[in-house]
Amino acid sequence: MTADLGYGMTLIALGLAVYGGVAAGIGARTGRLAVIESAQHAALGVFVLVTSCFALLTYAFLTFDFSVRYVATNTNLGTPFYYRITGVWGALEGSIILWSWMLALYTIILIVRHRVGARELYPWALATMLGILAFFLLVMTVAAPPFQRQVPVPADGRGLNPLLEDTGMITHPVALYLGFTGFTVPFAFAMAALITGRIGDTWLVLTRRWTIVAWYFLSLGLLIGGWWSYHVLGWGGYWAWDPVENAAFMPWLTGTAFLHSVMIQERRRMLRLWNISLVILTFGLTLFGTFLTRSGIIASVHSFTQGSIGILFLGFLALVLLTALGLVAWRWEAFRSEGELDSVVSRESAFLLNNVLLVAAAFTVFFGTVFPLLSEAVRGVKVSVGAPFFNQINVPLFLSLVFLMGVGPLIAWRRASLENLKRNFFWPVALGIVAAAAAFALGVRSLLAVLTFATTAFVAVTIAVDFTRATRARLRVGESLLPAMGGLLLRHHRRYGGFVVHLGILIIALGVMGSHAWSVQTETTLRRGETAELAGYRFRFDGLTAVEESNHFKVVGAFTVSNGRVLGVLRPAKKFYPQEQAPIAYVDYRLGLREDLYLVLGDFARDGSQATVKVQVNRLVSWIWIGGVVLTLGALLAILPERHKSA
Amino acid sequence: MSRVAIAVLIALVLLGSTGHPTAAQTAKPVNEDLVHDIAAQLRCVVCQNLSVADSPSEMASQMRAIIRERLAAGESPADVQRYFVDRYGEWILLSPPRRGFNLLVWLLPLAAVVVGLAAAAALVWRWTHGHRGIRPPPVAVDAAMSERIRRELEGRS
Repeated sequence: MTADLGYGMTLIALGLAVYGGVAAGIGARTGRLAVIESAQHAALGVFVLVTSCFALLTYAFLTFDFSVRYVATNTNLGTPFYYRITGVWGALEGSIILWSWMLALYTIILIVRHRVGARELYPWALATMLGILAFFLLVMTVAAPPFQRQVPVPADGRGLNPLLEDTGMITHPVALYLGFTGFTVPFAFAMAALITGRIGDTWLVLTRRWTIVAWYFLSLGLLIGGWWSYHVLGWGGYWAWDPVENAAFMPWLTGTAFLHSVMIQERRRMLRLWNISLVILTFGLTLFGTFLTRSGIIASVHSFTQGSIGILFLGFLALVLLTALGLVAWRWEAFRSEGELDSVVSRESAFLLNNVLLVAAAFTVFFGTVFPLLSEAVRGVKVSVGAPFFNQINVPLFLSLVFLMGVGPLIAWRRASLENLKRNFFWPVALGIVAAAAAFALGVRSLLAVLTFATTAFVAVTIAVDFTRATRARLRVGESLLPAMGGLLLRHHRRYGGFVVHLGILIIALGVMGSHAWSVQTETTLRRGETAELAGYRFRFDGLTAVEESNHFKVVGAFTVSNGRVLGVLRPAKKFYPQEQAPIAYVDYRLGLREDLYLVLGDFARDGSQATVKVQVNRLVSWIWIGGVVLTLGALLAILPERHKSA
Repeated sequence: MSRVAIAVLIALVLLGSTGHPTAAQTAKPVNEDLVHDIAAQLRCVVCQNLSVADSPSEMASQMRAIIRERLAAGESPADVQRYFVDRYGEWILLSPPRRGFNLLVWLLPLAAVVVGLAAAAALVWRWTHGHRGIRPPPVAVDAAMSERIRRELEGRS
């Protein structure tokens, strides 16, 4: 009953989306407003139907409606209330509903915002959005239907994947999908620009904030994913270069490149072709990421492993890319724009370099991720491409990018004079060298660490120099300090939002460097009452207790931790779920600015007389989360609505 | 400029590769850092994309124990790695060995950087030299120019 109702609504939504897409296209060609309005109504209908599907599925989860197969496989009577809600998107079918719903939501926002302002581009953008939405609805009806009957209705369901029982489940996928789907809007406008031949700056200006919004959510999703990995998966890290992490990271890299190269076009009318290509690439990579996660082609923690859906996504990806490239080729002549530049040393060059490095990093991630498939196809030999590879190639690229973060914003457009360079970079370079020397004097011997310190100090000082100089200029015209600073941030919120994001990246860079260079770990088996030591911490094994939870069984170890004085008791555990073969580690930790103490319970004797514990002292990891907060605040500042600019 | 950048990049990549464990012959009390370094290069066979060093699984813990034993028996890190490769194949290594077909995965990203830099350099060259006629030589920076720079810096980006 529930299943049939949901399936029916999905079918109607699919029909409406197809109709709306075609109608918007016809309306765009003929210019008939009535047809475009009809397409808008169809879009509204799709949104209402997908929302209803989503609500219906949630209701089915809450009421344990095991007549729906998806509910039966992803929940059971023991699943707590909270995880019955997040369980809705805990597996393939539900995640596609969430995706479609967000796409429909973005479509509605697009209609509300751009219906009036962008007469030429808007109908085509709407048609593109609805076309993409139709594809996802097709997936929901054919390849991964969430509404399928389960006959006979089981008494109890199988249960949610235990790793998904975490508060991160509500924020991580939602933020990530909002980011992924958000890039659809710039893509839709890029398509509209290509179709209409209006490849000038209109589409860029229209989608500028959309892009930052998408970027913001994608960054947030990645950061929350890192935090989740760190505190749930129990391996002591935040980024594993897992294929699906990579899949989310690639559009982030190209999206970041786009956010920067856009500025060259806005300012200098150059790089039009490149910008449109970056948007197409970014959107293509979000589809590719979905393909990777959903097809099960590459084994990963995130994969939903499912058969036919891979082909569907690959086909759609091919269709999108071919269409987009075809349109670009068709409009080729229009892209001929002569840029001009007075000197190689200029902001344009810095931004180009930034784009080259970001896209090269994206390519590295892409090629490393698919290389195992290539190797197996060509040589028949399985290989792994993991963290050591990605770190070795990407760390130098990222460090160069951080360096450019200092150069780009302060170097002059068109031509940087010696005067300009001296004026802007004397102090940053000097203090960068001082930072390197200080790090060396304090006993830092890793070249990478010294370089990181020098670069981050250099960039931080460039930001400080710029901000104090601009503030001083305002003080000179008689403003007082705080209003001057606040006014600067608000008036030039995109520029300073960007600076705050850069600061966030610097802090993250320090955290990543610290955690790689200085973390220590040990693994030891202790009898009850015995004590071990690591990096100044002593931890004593006090025994095990067993706890029965609503849907699993938990063995909790108690370890008293001290460093001279008693710091507290940490309780890492192992959770045993009836539906899982292997137990799930449940880590316990003490977070700190300097270092985190991180305990993972290993094997234990059944009588609780002894246990193996893995202890890690992870250095500076907290800075990654702090940097993440700073970064998202900066992005929010940049998203603020454009204010009317006088002067 | 770009050539320097390439040189720096290559140097950094090469420097990055010295992180491999070097043979520490004093085998008696096994150096945990060495165990960790070796384990970090090996794939946990039952996990997805976690190294033996990181994985909380039992299998990984056993593999770490094997590394410890073999080091204690006086084997070099290279021997230990070979032992795992012989048993599980190349797949066990988290970064593919740099030879034969695998060179592709190492060199293509570098090639991408080089090609990208060359393309950017060509573009900048065209922008700076592509003007019709000869432009007047850059004049020394005068007060107006400095003022313009200042305005730009303090103004919108």
